[in-house]
Amino acid sequence: MAPILKLKNLTRYFAGLAAVKDVSFDIEPGGLVGLIGPNGAGKTTLLSLIAGSLKPTSGKIEFEGENLAGAKSFRAVRAGIARTHQIPKPFRTMTVHENVEVGLRFGRHEKAAGTAKKAEEFLEMVGIAKLAQRPAFLLSVGDLKRLELARALAARPTLLLCDEICSGLTETESGLILRLLCDIRGAGTTILYVEHNLRAIMSVCDPVIVMNYGEKLAEGTPAAVQNDPSVIEAYIGKKATI
Amino acid sequence: MGQEAPVGVKEGADSGGSSVSRFVSVVVPLLLLASLAALPLASPSPNIIRLLFVTLTLVTASVGWNLIGGFAGQISFGFAVFYGLGAYTTALSINGGVPPLIAFLLGAIVAAVASLLIGLPTFRLKGPYFAIATIGVSEAVRVVMMNVPFTGGASGYRIIDKTRFVQSHHYYTALVLAVLAVGISILVRRSKLGLALIAIREDQDAASDLGVNPFVAKLLVHALAAALAGAAGGVYARYALFIDPDGVFAFRNGVAILLMPIIGGVGTIWGPVIGAFVYGLIHEEVVANFPQAHLLIFGSLLILIILFEPGGVVGLFKKFMRSLRARSSVGSHS
Repeated sequence: MAPILKLKNLTRYFAGLAAVKDVSFDIEPGGLVGLIGPNGAGKTTLLSLIAGSLKPTSGKIEFEGENLAGAKSFRAVRAGIARTHQIPKPFRTMTVHENVEVGLRFGRHEKAAGTAKKAEEFLEMVGIAKLAQRPAFLLSVGDLKRLELARALAARPTLLLCDEICSGLTETESGLILRLLCDIRGAGTTILYVEHNLRAIMSVCDPVIVMNYGEKLAEGTPAAVQNDPSVIEAYIGKKATI
Repeated sequence: MGQEAPVGVKEGADSGGSSVSRFVSVVVPLLLLASLAALPLASPSPNIIRLLFVTLTLVTASVGWNLIGGFAGQISFGFAVFYGLGAYTTALSINGGVPPLIAFLLGAIVAAVASLLIGLPTFRLKGPYFAIATIGVSEAVRVVMMNVPFTGGASGYRIIDKTRFVQSHHYYTALVLAVLAVGISILVRRSKLGLALIAIREDQDAASDLGVNPFVAKLLVHALAAALAGAAGGVYARYALFIDPDGVFAFRNGVAILLMPIIGGVGTIWGPVIGAFVYGLIHEEVVANFPQAHLLIFGSLLILIILFEPGGVVGLFKKFMRSLRARSSVGSHS
C-alpha cells in the first residue's frame, strides 16, 4: 500500500538552530506510529511542520499524494490532518460542546470523511459528554486534554497527530486514552503519536521513530528500537571509557 | 477557588433563571423598539428627536464595530475611516442626483471596499499590531481628506438635498438601519462565521488547527462591520447637510465607536446597543458642561470599566442576575 504520509529531507531552522534537520520517513495507512526522543529533540516541531502550524525551511511533506509543505494549518485540516496540542489550547469562553463544534464545522468535509457524527458522540468517545454545556475555562487539565482529542477527532482526520496527550494525566487516565487511541486506529485513522513517556509508546505503537537533536536517530519495532545502541546513548548516555 | 462558584451558578441557571433572561433579551428590546418607533407620534421637541437620531446612528456604528472588535477580538481604533467614507460617499452621491437609499448603500460599499484594503495588509499582524495599524490608517485618511480638492478639503463639503426636510424621516431611517445592524449581529453570532470569529478571538492558532481560515473570516466580518459604519456615516451626513474631515474622520470618533461597546459589554449582542445609548444620550451634556474635561471623564470611565467590570453593563447585569439566582436557590433548598 502507498504510504499516507511521506516526509523528505524535512528541515526547519529557528535562527541558526536546526530544530528539525533532514528528517525523512514514510507512514503507512492504518499505523499507530510512535515518535519519541529526549527533551528538545524536535518532536513537537516536526509535528507542527506536518500540521502546518509551522513552515518548513526546506523539504517535502507529501500527504496522500499532495504536497503540503508550507500550507497553512487550516489547509492541512481540510486535507485530512488534525492535531492536538501538548499544552491544551481551548476556546475558553465557549462551552465544551461549542469547542467540538468548531472542529466539526470547519474540519474535513463530511462527504469526504463519510461520517455524520455529532459533537456529543465525540465527547462520549473521550468520556466528557456530561461536561458538554460547561464553559471550557472550568475544565481540569485532564479534561482539557480529552477536549483537545475530541475536537481534533471532530475534524474527521485521516491522519491524527497527538502531542503528548498523556502528560499530566494519572496512570489510569492515560491507560484509557491509550486504549482510545487503539480504537481510533482500529476504526481506520492513522495516528502519529509524540510521547515523552517511553512506556506508554512502547505498549501501543507499532513502528517507533526516535529523534535526537532534530535528526532521525532510529526507526523500527519497539523491541528493535529499544536495543539500538544509538537510542540507548541518546537516552542514557555513553559508557564512560577511562 | 474561582472554579467552585460558577459551577453552582450553572445549576441555578437550569432551574428557572432562563425565563427571566429570555424576557430581558427578547421582550425588553421589543418594548424599546416599539417606544422608539412611536416616539415621533407624541411630537416631542425636535431636539429630542435629533439626539435620538444621532444616538441611533451611533448604535449602528457601535454594533458594527462589535462584529470585528467584540466577536473576533480585533480591536480597531480606525472606524472613523469607514464612518467618514460612508458620509462623503453619500454626500457626493446625493449631490450627483442619486436617491438617498442608493446613496447610503454606496456609502456602505465604499466603506467595505476600504476595509478590505486596510485588512489585507493588517490582518497578517497579530495582537496589538492590528490596533496600532488602525490608528495610523485613521490619521492618514483624515489628513488626505483635508487635502482632497474636489470635496473642499479642510473647509468641508455641503450637501444639497432636493427632497423636503422632514425630521422624522431621518429619524426612522436611522432606526431601521440600527434594527438592521442588530439583526445582522444576531445572525452573525449564530452562524458558522460567528463560531469561527469567537474561536479566532480565543485562540487564533487553535482555530486554524481545526480548519478555520482566520484571514478570510476576519476580512469578511471587517467588511460587514465597515459597511454598517459607512451606512451610519451616510445617514448622518444626509441629516447634517455639511461634513468636514475634522468632523467625520476625527480620531475621537474612532475612539467613541470603540468606547460604546466597551461601556455596554464587548462581544455581546446588546452591549453595543446599551453602550451607544449611554454614550449618545450623555455625551453632549458632558461636553457642554465640561468642555475642557470631557475627554478626561470618558478616559477615566474607560479605565474604570476595564479594571472593575470588563463585561460592561451587560456583565454587571449578568452578575446581578447570578446573585439573585444564587439567593433564590438557597431559599428554595432550605
